Amino acid sequence: MAKKTYDLLFKLLLIGDSGVGKTCVLFRFSDDAFNTTFISTIGIDFKIKTVELQGKKIKLQIWDTAGQERFHTITTSYYRGAMGIMLVYDITNGKSFENISKWLRNIDEHANEDVERMLLGNKCDMDDKRVVPKGKGEQIAREHGIRFFETSAKANINIEKAFLTLAEDILRKTPVKEPNSENVDISSGGGVTGWKSKCC
Amino acid sequence: MDQSVAIQETLAEGEYCIIISFPAVQGALCEGESRRSRLLGLVRYRPERGGEEHALFLYTHRRMAITGDDVSLDQIVPISRDFALEEVSLDGEVYFLGSDVTVQLDTAELSLVFQLPFGSQTRTFLQEVARACPGFDPAALDPKFLWLSRYRRKEPEPESPTPRGWKSAAGTRPGRAIIGGGDSSFDESRPDGKGLLVDRSSRGQDKPENLLPRQNKSKSEITDMVRSSTVTVSDKAHILSMQKFGLRDTIVKSHLMQKEEDYTYIQNFRFFVGTYNVNGQSPKECLRPWLSHGIQAPDVYCVGFQELDLSKEAFFFHDTPKEEEWFKAVSEGLHPAAKYAKVKLIRLVGIMLLLYVKQEHAAYISEVEVETVGTGIMGRMGNKGGVAVRFQFHNTSICVVNSHLAAHTEEYERRNQDYKDICSRMQFRQVDPSLPPLTISKHDVILWLGDLNYRIEELDVEKVKKLIEEKAFQTLYANDQLRAQVAAKAVFEGFSEGELTFQPTYKYDTGSDDWDTSEKCRAPAWCDRVLWKGKNITQLSYQSHMALKTSDHKPVSSVFDIGVRVVNEELYRKTLEEIVRSLDKMENDNIPSVSLSKREFCFQNVKYMQLQVESFTIRNGQVPCQFEFINKPDEVSYCKQWLRANPSRGFLLPDSAIEIELELFVNKTTATKLNSGEDKIEDILVLHLDRGKDYFLSVSGNYLPSCFGSPIHTLCYMKEPILDLPLETVRELTLMQLQTEDDGSQLERPMDIPKELWMMVDYLYRNAIQQEDLFQQPGLRLEFEHIRDCLDSGMIDNLSASNHSVAEALLLFLESLPEPVICYSVYHNCFECSGNLTASKQVIATLPACHRNVFIYLMAFLQELLKNSAKNHLDGNILASIFGSLLLRNPAGHQKLEVAEKKKAQEFIHQFLCNSP
Repeated sequence: MAKKTYDLLFKLLLIGDSGVGKTCVLFRFSDDAFNTTFISTIGIDFKIKTVELQGKKIKLQIWDTAGQERFHTITTSYYRGAMGIMLVYDITNGKSFENISKWLRNIDEHANEDVERMLLGNKCDMDDKRVVPKGKGEQIAREHGIRFFETSAKANINIEKAFLTLAEDILRKTPVKEPNSENVDISSGGGVTGWKSKCC
Repeated sequence: MDQSVAIQETLAEGEYCIIISFPAVQGALCEGESRRSRLLGLVRYRPERGGEEHALFLYTHRRMAITGDDVSLDQIVPISRDFALEEVSLDGEVYFLGSDVTVQLDTAELSLVFQLPFGSQTRTFLQEVARACPGFDPAALDPKFLWLSRYRRKEPEPESPTPRGWKSAAGTRPGRAIIGGGDSSFDESRPDGKGLLVDRSSRGQDKPENLLPRQNKSKSEITDMVRSSTVTVSDKAHILSMQKFGLRDTIVKSHLMQKEEDYTYIQNFRFFVGTYNVNGQSPKECLRPWLSHGIQAPDVYCVGFQELDLSKEAFFFHDTPKEEEWFKAVSEGLHPAAKYAKVKLIRLVGIMLLLYVKQEHAAYISEVEVETVGTGIMGRMGNKGGVAVRFQFHNTSICVVNSHLAAHTEEYERRNQDYKDICSRMQFRQVDPSLPPLTISKHDVILWLGDLNYRIEELDVEKVKKLIEEKAFQTLYANDQLRAQVAAKAVFEGFSEGELTFQPTYKYDTGSDDWDTSEKCRAPAWCDRVLWKGKNITQLSYQSHMALKTSDHKPVSSVFDIGVRVVNEELYRKTLEEIVRSLDKMENDNIPSVSLSKREFCFQNVKYMQLQVESFTIRNGQVPCQFEFINKPDEVSYCKQWLRANPSRGFLLPDSAIEIELELFVNKTTATKLNSGEDKIEDILVLHLDRGKDYFLSVSGNYLPSCFGSPIHTLCYMKEPILDLPLETVRELTLMQLQTEDDGSQLERPMDIPKELWMMVDYLYRNAIQQEDLFQQPGLRLEFEHIRDCLDSGMIDNLSASNHSVAEALLLFLESLPEPVICYSVYHNCFECSGNLTASKQVIATLPACHRNVFIYLMAFLQELLKNSAKNHLDGNILASIFGSLLLRNPAGHQKLEVAEKKKAQEFIHQFLCNSP
């Protein structure tokens, strides 16, 4: 029997085009740091962070995926078992935003049915280079009934908030009567409800 | 020796003896003199409805149990909600480190005492049992133990050699379940008639000393709150933390302890400490003069009594009405300016200790434990000894001890010994059962009160009385035994005591302030004392109370200001957050991570059967790790068939490195699809670290098409060397369907046979017709590569190789044909007409033209070889055997032909060799 050190374990996944800043978002959240040099993630990486929500110790295990197109078929196999997926685009990169629908389809095909999704428009500190208006991000989020934040890993905007919100949404549909299970079954959680108005 | 194997053998399916990491603990059941060894197995069962249920299985056993035959099931104790297994210190035995651990097992039905061997194994066992106990989660189902019915139902069969203890237990008491049957039903099975598992209540009568220290527990659970206080001191923190302890929690706890100063501050609290030897009397007067007159309302009351009840009943049955009487008297005597909550009452015969706190502090009291140690008659009985309560007040641990030490002036050494016994034997259970019990000395603050019984030495009674009259307390104190013993470091080391400014508290005529006038005429002495140990303790007063006259002693009180560590919630959260962050960081740093010297691998101009190797280095970080190339989803292997990683898995120590070779080798199985473009030199390998990251490795490159692996008809349409053709043409031709008959639709007429085949056969015809051992000696690999290049580039004139190499290339060529010369479709027809040359020829006639041509061409060549058999030593059988299995291949698969099939294929070819066409 594994030793219990926290109340719940949530597995989260970061997906999105290459170069949108998934690794930086994760690094900001886990280490509260930012690195300007771009090193393409070629593989799957993860970090953990323990947070406390509603009096529960929750261990977030956050998986960072390779964004490059050639790895897509492999990375989709990591979707299964994720309880929350953060779909990231770059507000200065129109292509990365156009691909959001493709990524959403990917989630539909490969992730658990009741996975909690969230859309992030990253690099919002670079407003001078913005090509994707915030409204467009909000619109696509509304259409799909998911939350949306504009974030900046560099300027530390909304990063913690986004993760905690996602974790809270997962916690909300997690059955409470699982006090000592590490692998939480969230199958009984309700489907995605209407668009949640909360955004940055 | 892992004896759990033996136990596991006796269990049913689905039941699992969890004692994998440690053998069953061999326990000796303690029952007076009779001790019998048992194996204790903790058995887990997972019912279908979910959850887990546990039971302790007790086995008798042979000296060393190796198989299931060596153990006999004796009893099953289901681990239900009322199950408790706790460590006890058995009276009659002196505890010392390394001695056996005595545990007491209680359920609603029975109570057993075991001794388990000292050591980590026993610790682990006890922890596992503690973990198996069903929690207090109301949502969880109550264990039903239906699976144990298997053991209950079993009826005794006289002829069957079932376990002894078991049989009689189930058989002699029909209808009685063995579960929970901890009474004398087992006695009949014991040849010596001695009961093994004895109900404690029946045992208690003749062995009262085993009982005394334990019974008071239930008695002490007096629940009324003092002075209508509504707050109950709850052990909530205690109950909650019992549920979950783990490595991480332990680390967090120890870090919090280390950083305590960061988030706590010292706040003074007023403590009242009182001691009163009441000489067996009932309370007759109000206790306020002692407890509350002339002081501010203290935050904490620690009130101790000695000689509460001197009756035999109290001594033997440990039951006394005095407890209630004095408790009431104290409760009524507490300071009227505040409301108090009783935290604990603990009593050993006549030694009683009461702990109260102001109502508003109750929430900050936790981890309350009480314990008693008897040091009286035989060094064990409760007429002398000590009781103690330990607790956590805010963040400070406090232990209050009330002791009544040995009497008589000359017995000071006995008193010293009593003190030492109390210190060593007073052990408090910890919240985390994996931690060793707490001793008195492990507390931040120790308050020690009681009738310590130290006397005034070397002065006669009259002299003492005279000095008292003169209030020459310092002179008297110089002769105080306790002072002398403390100075000699014989007792109370490290403790402090305030100055004695009051006259001795012993011995008076009851009801008066007159010195003892009885026959014994005891010399006055400071028997009743209060000592302390710890930091931030200031004594505000230390006095006796002459007004109280109930006893032959006067009560003593001392008021302290004690600095207690109080938690600043905000700083605490901050510190906790920092610790959690550092643990997260540690955990993240402990995720295995490696660096790869290379992640993209390009294999240029890959050729048929020519090994290409690319290597890279995996350099490990700081965490030992296990790596492995893992399969991608829906794939059966971690890479394409033409690739191999060597090694594909392994283990790396911190800072070590390993070189991995990626070996690319195209053979007959993979060549055709690479020619046709259905496959490419492209792959992604997933290098997985156990409990860690995954790395993607990209493999790319290009394959140079070859006649090897190309179909016969494709080659017939290639009038130019394969390498001179555009890749697109090679792909199209390779994918072209093989047609049985020419439909004339092709733009160009194909050649009769592949030119590459002609080149090799022609070479052999010209150079090797008389070559000895042709087709039987291996060629050279380098020469094969040369031959392949010549064939594929059409540079046949450059061909210079040994005959054997060319012969082998020919065989390899035939072997690599995706469709054998005699097509798969007629494979079985060939066997049916084998031996009938005409019929066989008819089968050959049905082959597609190019295959038919190749067959006839080869046969003609082989016949030419046979004409020179005098020189080349070949005969029909040898050639038929070599070519049979190449020309005729089982359509079922690529595996080698079986002997019978091989023989038939050989026969089929042999016909054509021995008969001219």
